[in-house]
Amino acid sequence: MGGYLGSYATLGLLLAVGVLFFLVAMTANRLLRTNRPSAAKSTTYECGLDPVGGDWAQAQIRYYVYAYLYVLFAVEAVFLFPWAVIFDDPGFGMTAVVEMGIFVGVLALGLLYAWRKRVLQWT
Amino acid sequence: MEPGYYVVLAAVLFTIGAVGVLIRRNAIVLFMCIELMLNAGNLALVTFSRINGTLDGQIMAFFVMVVAAAEVVIGLAIIMSIFRTRRSASVDDANLLKY
Amino acid sequence: MNGFTIATPAQVLAIDVRLPDLDYAAMAPMLVLFGAACLGVLVDAFAPRQSRHTIQFALSFIALTVALLAVIREARVGSRELTADVALAIDGPTLFLQGTLAVLGIVALLLVGERALEKGGPFVSQAAIPVGSEADRRQAREEGATEVFPLTLFALSGMMLFVAANDLLTMFVALEVFSLPLYLLCALARRRRLVSQEAALKYFLLGAFASAFFIFGMALLYGFAGTVSFGGIHDAALLATTSPLLLFTGLAMVAVGLLFKIAAVPFHVWTPDVYQGAPTSVTAFMAACTKVAAFGGLLRVLYVAFDRARWDIEPVIGTIAILTMLVGAILAVTQTDIKRLLAYSSIANAGYLLVGALAFSKEGLSSAMFYLAAYGFTVIAAFAVITLVRDDDGEATHLSRWAGLGREAPLVAGVFTFLMLAFAGIPLTSGFTSKFAVFGAALGVGEAWPVALVIVGVVTSMILAFPYLRVVVMMWLSEPAEQSPTVAIPGAFTSAALMVGVLATLLLGVFPSPVLDLADRAAEFIR
Repeated sequence: MGGYLGSYATLGLLLAVGVLFFLVAMTANRLLRTNRPSAAKSTTYECGLDPVGGDWAQAQIRYYVYAYLYVLFAVEAVFLFPWAVIFDDPGFGMTAVVEMGIFVGVLALGLLYAWRKRVLQWT
Repeated sequence: MEPGYYVVLAAVLFTIGAVGVLIRRNAIVLFMCIELMLNAGNLALVTFSRINGTLDGQIMAFFVMVVAAAEVVIGLAIIMSIFRTRRSASVDDANLLKY
Repeated sequence: MNGFTIATPAQVLAIDVRLPDLDYAAMAPMLVLFGAACLGVLVDAFAPRQSRHTIQFALSFIALTVALLAVIREARVGSRELTADVALAIDGPTLFLQGTLAVLGIVALLLVGERALEKGGPFVSQAAIPVGSEADRRQAREEGATEVFPLTLFALSGMMLFVAANDLLTMFVALEVFSLPLYLLCALARRRRLVSQEAALKYFLLGAFASAFFIFGMALLYGFAGTVSFGGIHDAALLATTSPLLLFTGLAMVAVGLLFKIAAVPFHVWTPDVYQGAPTSVTAFMAACTKVAAFGGLLRVLYVAFDRARWDIEPVIGTIAILTMLVGAILAVTQTDIKRLLAYSSIANAGYLLVGALAFSKEGLSSAMFYLAAYGFTVIAAFAVITLVRDDDGEATHLSRWAGLGREAPLVAGVFTFLMLAFAGIPLTSGFTSKFAVFGAALGVGEAWPVALVIVGVVTSMILAFPYLRVVVMMWLSEPAEQSPTVAIPGAFTSAALMVGVLATLLLGVFPSPVLDLADRAAEFIR
């Protein structure tokens, strides 16, 4: 097997073997095993206990606050990447560093506020 | 690929979002539709950036993303404070204010 | 999908990144407010609870005064320039509107900071606590939130940026910077918090919906012009090598975002609900300052970026203006709540302002700016009066409760009568001079559309006079209701705000020429 298409033929062969292996294994399993479904078997598996109540449960309110903080900080970080590309180019230097410092400082201000308001305590 | 198609895709996504805002009733779903509209705007910005050959559009998409994130946080905070009192996020239940 | 030429990656990468020149003196008003707001966040985090309110109020007051002085300084230097790489335009309208915003902001701040009317102030410290729970009853006796001051400052700095923004992206960021704090402020009412939260939800969802339109419009205009600066869009519209479809669709969508903020019909539905549900001091702030900022932005977009498309947009915006005036005036007649009445009146006033804007002349611009300043003072004073009429349940805003108020509190009722007459446009009030200026500017153009708008404007003014006068008649001539509300003695802050508002309404009605001249001299955009 050589040439441009040849390398794809190897890949194709590998894929075919993979699919075949999966099919043979699962079919063999299906043919050999016993099959007796019951209502108890098709309930949701929950650590061996019977599930109680509905599937809508409320999470602790703390989770939301953390999620909010995370969303803000994760997304604000998007500005760091273009900045990192150019900040050591000629003509930027100190100015760019100071500007990013102000930007991060404003973000840190929010975190400081959250900390002082005891939003970050997990109890 | 012809970049014009992406503009069409953006327009379609925007329309889906706008229609969703108009017909859905759950505040969270409504909000997701608005996010879809914002992201359609982002797609259009990036596509036009490619067509015009300037990078401005991509930078603008960054700004839109960041502002959208701030909006998410504030919006969800408002929706949640209402939900905690009323146990419902349906905008039809918010009906105290009418004449 | 043909007609687009695609840049090669090499072309895309060949860009020239450089630091923009920043004129710090010109940006000082915004920077001062933003810095003070950040400082306010720190104060709220670290200052002891008892002294927070005093510190925050003093900080906000000083910051706004400094910002006003910076605007005045800049105006005396007479600077007319584009700074921050054409993102900001510091010109006459910018400085006039920033000055107006600073003054109106100070007056509104007095109302926000008032604590004499209610123990702990009109705001609640933690709005997320469920209404009616044990914790909520506990916090009802506590001090209110002092975060309202940084939020107000953030909103004001966003508004100042909004009127100076010279490209769509800066405008969008500024729009959100002033909108997001307002959404929060709406939800913080101490009394009737369910209604207040509902107002915040409606305002937020519709506001976010409108800003999504703004974004998509911005993207389309970027596709049309290859830039989002107003000058660039103007030039591209002049050359118009590409199809104007992108231009007009983009313009329409950007206009949706802006018309939402000024509460023009059919984008007005949020206004009555939000005005009614929000704490009254916040409503006063929104009614005055948001209107100034949003109209400043709209005027700049129309006059700087799209003046070449004037003939195409005039019928559309003209129709919207007519609808705005009609719907605002007619629905104001049917209202039974004083805050909703003022909300519909503010919708109608947005229509009158659009009449001035659509004149597309120097007079149109200067009269619209004068109108914004005059209306702002009157509306803040009117909402200040509403905060005074109270019963056990907070403010008594239903109109029937105001019956016979003139006998109980002649002074307050007299002040409110004067303000209502100003809204109705009676001579010797600022309402008359500003309407006169706007309609005069529109007639001065001498074309079909402005004249039609003025006719509708005069007719709706007459319709609108009816609900105002009904309130006046009710206060003075009706018998008091069974349980009439008491009129609280205003604290020093509310008194000051009322005094400034009423004096400005009177002075701008009797001696309008200094401010009219100022607006006239300022009325020129740079591109």
